[in-house]
Amino acid sequence: MTLAYTIKDLSFAYTVEPVLRISELEIGRGEIVGLVGPNGSGKTTLLHILAFLETPQRGEITFFGRPVRQTDLVTVRRRVALLLQSPYLFHESVLSNILWGMHLRGVKPAKARQAALKALDLVGLQGFGHRYARSLSGGESQRVALARALALEPSVLLLDEPFSHMDRQAVQQTEEIVNRLCCDNGVTVVFTTHAIEKVHVVAHRLIHLWQGRMVPTGPENLFKGVLKNKGTLFDTGNILVQLENPAARGDYIVIDPSGIGIQLDGTGETPPNTYSGTVKGLSQENERVRVVIDVGEDVTAFLAAGDPISGALRLGMHVTVAVGPYAISVL
Amino acid sequence: MDYIFKGFLDAGRLMASFDPDVWFIVWTSLQVSLLATLLASLAGVPLGALIALRRFRGKPILQVILNTMMALPTVVIGLLGYAFLSRRGPLGALELLYTPAGISLGLFVLALPTVVNLTLAAIQGLDPRLIVTCRLLGATPIQQTWKILREGRFAVTAAIVVAFGRVISEVGIAMMLGGNIRGFTRTMTTAIALETAKGEFELGLALGMVLLSVALGVNGMLFLLQRGKT
Repeated sequence: MTLAYTIKDLSFAYTVEPVLRISELEIGRGEIVGLVGPNGSGKTTLLHILAFLETPQRGEITFFGRPVRQTDLVTVRRRVALLLQSPYLFHESVLSNILWGMHLRGVKPAKARQAALKALDLVGLQGFGHRYARSLSGGESQRVALARALALEPSVLLLDEPFSHMDRQAVQQTEEIVNRLCCDNGVTVVFTTHAIEKVHVVAHRLIHLWQGRMVPTGPENLFKGVLKNKGTLFDTGNILVQLENPAARGDYIVIDPSGIGIQLDGTGETPPNTYSGTVKGLSQENERVRVVIDVGEDVTAFLAAGDPISGALRLGMHVTVAVGPYAISVL
Repeated sequence: MDYIFKGFLDAGRLMASFDPDVWFIVWTSLQVSLLATLLASLAGVPLGALIALRRFRGKPILQVILNTMMALPTVVIGLLGYAFLSRRGPLGALELLYTPAGISLGLFVLALPTVVNLTLAAIQGLDPRLIVTCRLLGATPIQQTWKILREGRFAVTAAIVVAFGRVISEVGIAMMLGGNIRGFTRTMTTAIALETAKGEFELGLALGMVLLSVALGVNGMLFLLQRGKT
């Protein structure tokens, strides 16, 4: 398989502390990759690096087999299109917005116009060419930005939360476009999303990011549910999770296994986010023990192999699980 | 109160009579001010954009210096200009002292920090996604700057208009570098100062009215431009 990207030993920091560390990542030509992870996990930063907007402080990136140098940035950027979560449209007509990128690439005006109209048609905005771009709704703006990206016929299409402002029909249309681009034209597509169901429908492969690192199986303890009590409570349907800081929106919570404590007595349940449950799974993983406890949801915790509690745990044992406030993230 | 009213009447009469002296003064003012604003815009807009878009050491210090230069008294510029343009000065050989070109040069020095600073502020006030979008679409740094200036064209135009307003209404530079020579370097502001000192109140008022009309016209144009920007 031809590789679009090869990344090795990448480290990126906005200030001092690295926000993204990737030891190895390969993305193939024509592959559709979904990036998932909680807020602040590094998804958008990774997209910006793949779009050559940000340059990592350490590491090596090859793009279609060639190492990327600082002097090549404009050239490689012209092969990549990134659709921002909240795209910026210029203070001009929709058509002019789409034409500018092609003008920069030296595409002849007649051909560029034809490509722009075709791209508008593809995103379901035929007849919008002469509309003033800044007067469009959020969903329409996102589709214009998608048309602007598609008209450039990029080798790689990067989408940051593409479904966030779209209605159901537009989401379906975008999914079809992504599939067609990849299958018919061999375009590599990488997208981030909070809608985890979408990732499974569209993507060939998932990349889970957690605190700036790639994790093999995705965040543990990921639960779907609804926010209640003005965002202070998350109801998974089986357990209620008290939130330290009220959340404005979110359909999922993730509980960091390292922030979970286990008590053997299985009695106390008074403090918030303390649950009684039974041990459902126990397995040794290198220096740690993975414990799965059924508290209504299957919660995973890790204990050090030498921890006396891990030695005392048995399957079916009643225990108390205490979740620390900083272990909870709302997605 | 009467003499003010009479002054207005006389001023109206003087303007309506198309007195060549008056109109020459108006023309000289416009000429030196427009030339200075044009040169300051040609140099200041790209410079302001460059400072706004580049990250470099000492940028905050440069911004403080530019802010200070905006408050520079015109007589100080006039004085320095005189030192440079007088026969003993380093630019004396150019023989620009007491010429309209000399006034323009001084006004250029006055307008430049205003154009640079306000362009810089205009660009820094633009949506940060604009620069990202330009880069994403594959623009070179020059293409990015051009697009950014286009997107901020109303604020940049306002910067130029403010600079024009400053240069056309100043008196210190025109007096010190122009010398207020009748029929050659006399501008509206120097004429107002002179005529009022002589007691020729109506001519001073007439020129004051023209000066106000020019300011009104320029600001009216800016207003129309801003209104049509949607």
